[in-house]
Amino acid sequence: MEISGILNEHTIKTNMNAKSKDEALIELANLLLENEYITDIERFMKDIYAREEIGQTGIGNYIAIPHGKSDFVKKLGVAIGINKSEIPWETMDGNGVKGIILFAVGNDNEGAQNHLKLLSLFARKLGNDEVIEKLLQSEKTEDVKEAFAN
Amino acid sequence: MKIVGVAACTVGIAHTYIAQEKLENAGKKAGHEISIETQGTIGTENKLTPQQIQEADIIILAADVKISGRDRFEGKRIIQVATEIAVKSPNKLIEKAEEVVKQKQ
Repeated sequence: MEISGILNEHTIKTNMNAKSKDEALIELANLLLENEYITDIERFMKDIYAREEIGQTGIGNYIAIPHGKSDFVKKLGVAIGINKSEIPWETMDGNGVKGIILFAVGNDNEGAQNHLKLLSLFARKLGNDEVIEKLLQSEKTEDVKEAFAN
Repeated sequence: MKIVGVAACTVGIAHTYIAQEKLENAGKKAGHEISIETQGTIGTENKLTPQQIQEADIIILAADVKISGRDRFEGKRIIQVATEIAVKSPNKLIEKAEEVVKQKQ
């Protein structure tokens, strides 16, 4: 199983210009909507914010992993945004965020075991400092894919 | 030293696996044998064997929810923290584990 199977070049955005957490989340959620991962952006966002309420999704090192399970997810996937400047975010190290990985996962994962497995392997990568360093330096979509390649 | 543990976060999609990766990397870097079981949306993975648990010097539970099979660790030294701690300060957590093991010897 290849982790790249979870990545979609159409849901990766580099040189993003978001000024706030809201802006970044909406921009990424729109990519998920356009590419038919989610069916309703407002209600999907509500589920994402419900998870934000529970605790910090800023995991340090300028990375945030907003996620939540939502009935409005049609297809499991991720949207990745690399922002030009640091955005204020609730983080574990007090810094802002430049790399945002928005997870789209449904409540009913019947038959999605393979994808869930890929997603867990992908999430593991986010615990690796070298991967994060490469990710944050990404200028192009290809660079993002490359960061997760090994 | 031998460390085993379990990672389990609220939603079971992200923190669980990041905590696993960070703890395993930090443990190996410090020269320990380490294996972290994950309990997430996909179910239990990297399940600890009874032998691994028996041989372990210490158990690290990085969990925001009730983990299944906690009784497997009865009688062992356990450090329990939130997944956030494992994600934020994996090296410190390993150091703490070292201290606890040293104290009890």
